[in-house]
Amino acid sequence: MDIAPVIDGFGVVLQPENLLYCLIGVVVGMLVGVLPGLGPAATIAILLPLTFNVEPVTAIIMLAGIFYGAQYGGTITSVLLRLPGEASSVVTVFDGYALARQGKAGTALGIAAIGSFVGGTVSIIALTLVAPFIASFALDFGPPEYTMLALLGILLVAAVGNGSRTKAFVAAGIGLLLATVGRDGFTGAERFTFDSLSMADGLDFVPIAMGIFGLAEILHSLENREKLAKPPAKVSNPWPSRSDLKQSSGAIGRGSVIGFVLGILPGGGAVLSSLAAYGLEKKRSRTPERFGKGAIEGVAAPETANNAAATSSFIPLLTLGIPANATIAVIFGALLIQGITPGPGLVEDHPDLFWGVVNSMYIGNLLLLMMSIPLVGLFVKILTVRASIMAPITVLITLIGVYTVNNNSFDIVLVIVFGVLGYLMKKAGFEPGPLVLAFVLGSLLESNARRSLILFDGDVAGFATRPISGTLLAVLVVVLALPLLGLLLRRDRRTPSGGIAPGGGPTPGGTPAPDGTPTDPAPEARSKEEAPS
Amino acid sequence: MNHHRLVHGVAAISAGAAALSLTACGGNLGGSSAEDFPNGAINLTVGQDAGGSTDLIARALAEPVSDDLGVPVPVMNKPGANGALAAQTLAGENADGQNLMVINASLIAITSLVVGEDEVVSLDDYEIVTGISQDDYVLVANADSGWESFEDLEGSGQTVDFATTGVGTGSQLSQELLFNQTEVDGNDVPFDGGSPALTALLGNQVDVTSIQLGEAYPQIQAGEIVPLMVFSTDRNQYLEDVPTATELGYEVPVAQYRAIAAPKGTPQETIDTLKESFDAAFETQAYQDFNTNALLTPYQVDGDEVVADWTEQRETYEALIAEYGIDMGGDA
Repeated sequence: MDIAPVIDGFGVVLQPENLLYCLIGVVVGMLVGVLPGLGPAATIAILLPLTFNVEPVTAIIMLAGIFYGAQYGGTITSVLLRLPGEASSVVTVFDGYALARQGKAGTALGIAAIGSFVGGTVSIIALTLVAPFIASFALDFGPPEYTMLALLGILLVAAVGNGSRTKAFVAAGIGLLLATVGRDGFTGAERFTFDSLSMADGLDFVPIAMGIFGLAEILHSLENREKLAKPPAKVSNPWPSRSDLKQSSGAIGRGSVIGFVLGILPGGGAVLSSLAAYGLEKKRSRTPERFGKGAIEGVAAPETANNAAATSSFIPLLTLGIPANATIAVIFGALLIQGITPGPGLVEDHPDLFWGVVNSMYIGNLLLLMMSIPLVGLFVKILTVRASIMAPITVLITLIGVYTVNNNSFDIVLVIVFGVLGYLMKKAGFEPGPLVLAFVLGSLLESNARRSLILFDGDVAGFATRPISGTLLAVLVVVLALPLLGLLLRRDRRTPSGGIAPGGGPTPGGTPAPDGTPTDPAPEARSKEEAPS
Repeated sequence: MNHHRLVHGVAAISAGAAALSLTACGGNLGGSSAEDFPNGAINLTVGQDAGGSTDLIARALAEPVSDDLGVPVPVMNKPGANGALAAQTLAGENADGQNLMVINASLIAITSLVVGEDEVVSLDDYEIVTGISQDDYVLVANADSGWESFEDLEGSGQTVDFATTGVGTGSQLSQELLFNQTEVDGNDVPFDGGSPALTALLGNQVDVTSIQLGEAYPQIQAGEIVPLMVFSTDRNQYLEDVPTATELGYEVPVAQYRAIAAPKGTPQETIDTLKESFDAAFETQAYQDFNTNALLTPYQVDGDEVVADWTEQRETYEALIAEYGIDMGGDA
């Protein structure tokens, strides 16, 4: 491996401007992690236009900071208020809040911060080694391989959605349909454009993301102004004791690996990996009954895993141009705005961007580790800012922001339309994540499937005979078959669920959708894991 | 204040480019609306995303033009429908010279052959200030193919998968015309722009592609891809050794041209003032260096010539498409 660009990447990060944006990113990320309702996808979508005038690498450093910073912040409210600020911190509630009630909130937060740091760092190192390797054969990914990847992505996204799998598939279906709008790239035919030039290129991803994540979340949270539990007056002694550390070290190690592996998978990411890591610890433990009643591993494992996953989910984006989850999809949009199409050429053509972003994560994680404890009090206070002040300002920023991207007032209309749609979907229990991801993957799927068929002269068997696409096809079949198999097995012997297989297969229990509002933290999961009431 | 700056600007141009000052005479004496020109910022719209070659050209010109006229010249990106969205918006702006656009010949001469009638952008709705530059398409193959010339490709006897940068682009037209004039069977595989097409070629997903020289050049230099022919009537100054399609006996006169357009009805005096200002910008060392680095060939002709050229191109393409029975809708 050529080490020079990696070193140069540090030079990029250490430029004062990039350091500043990294700091801004992680602080904002931590903040939105604390605020329930506003997830990283929403925040990044809203802030997209602000990144317009800075260098691409600076912009992505900040947006990435928001993403992994949110994984830290989400812990705080989970532990203190039993209110996961972030979907990926839902499982942290079980033991984190129990610890807080035992007066050990500081210990829980400390372990979570250390776990997050370790998980993040392990994942960056692995990313540094793995990403160039993937990128080196990324050129072998042609239309058939992309077809399979997109198909796999859509399937996993829909499958790991909220409790109702049907609703997730419906949402993904709508996303696929929306992807068909615009001039057909193969025949020039107009599809659903209603003779509007604004729709000739299809619907733009940015206003959709800003509407369905940003505006919809704001509307939704206005309606759900819950009375917050009073946080404990004082968080004492955030540094965990030696025995706590010793008890958590295994969980942190395993959490790092699970997080890294699941983060790479399309549709995986932070939420799934936190559940998987929690499940594994509980299964391994000699005293599983402690879980839910204040087991420190129950905080360490998911918090480590979600951070590791947040980091590793950059791999498919930066090497293949495939977004692994909804938040990464928005970052994908940010790169496009900057005139950079993420794909196989990225590592080689933009090494400063690639390594700059990757290396900024070391710094960002260090900053987060240093800040997470002292800033706890401040963040909890922010929770008390009235929504009637926050919401209008955010809406205004969103609408002005989207206009500045393309100087097109049609985009403002799109944000409002999709904001309302997203709000209605939330009310009806549909998660927006599958829709947005299916929208992004849909155009990839269609154009690559059609390209493949041209290359194969219409022979569908071509998908199976190429080594990489054939392998992906096999994975696809397994993914499709697994839930059916699981269903059969469960019918055979009614095993108690609770363990979650770390393999990316759809989980039997209720997994909160990526970027879903965590205000209603997966009731199924809660009852199953016996969360404290 | 503006008037003073204008006089100053005209003086500067006259000194810098004496030959061009002949057309400058009427600038300050004309109709009332032209007299106020420029009145505040001049918006230069680009119908493509930021970072693309059209955008880069606009930005390279905006600065010297702004210096010359003494008003800001912000570049605004309004991507959509191959530039048709921006062109449609421009046609509705006031015809006072405060709103301009970098317009691509492909939008007028090629895209119009593919899209529905209401979407066709016609030069009748615009005044052309000046031509800017010419960007040549080059047919490239992966070095692994072993092909060093187009004869090698023809000799291979295989069906050639060719990547295009999309429907209704010069990339598609050039290859469709070429493969309809050879014995070789071609397979049209549309991609979404030059970069994906190049990536597909580098990954051996397709056999050849026709892309703009600026996009291909770094990989040609690196020896990853091999140029087989240039789609222009004259040899390209940056690829002296590569034969043109015409030399090889094919009728493929395809290249990308760019020009500055203003809304129809903009006073001639204003157009003249702008033309001088752009001419002055073309003369600056910074812009000339940019042109060389971007591998562009100057096409700094006046508006009438642009209109004549592009109208002729459109007719030529239409005739060629009819002659060879080409389906620009792709033969998927």
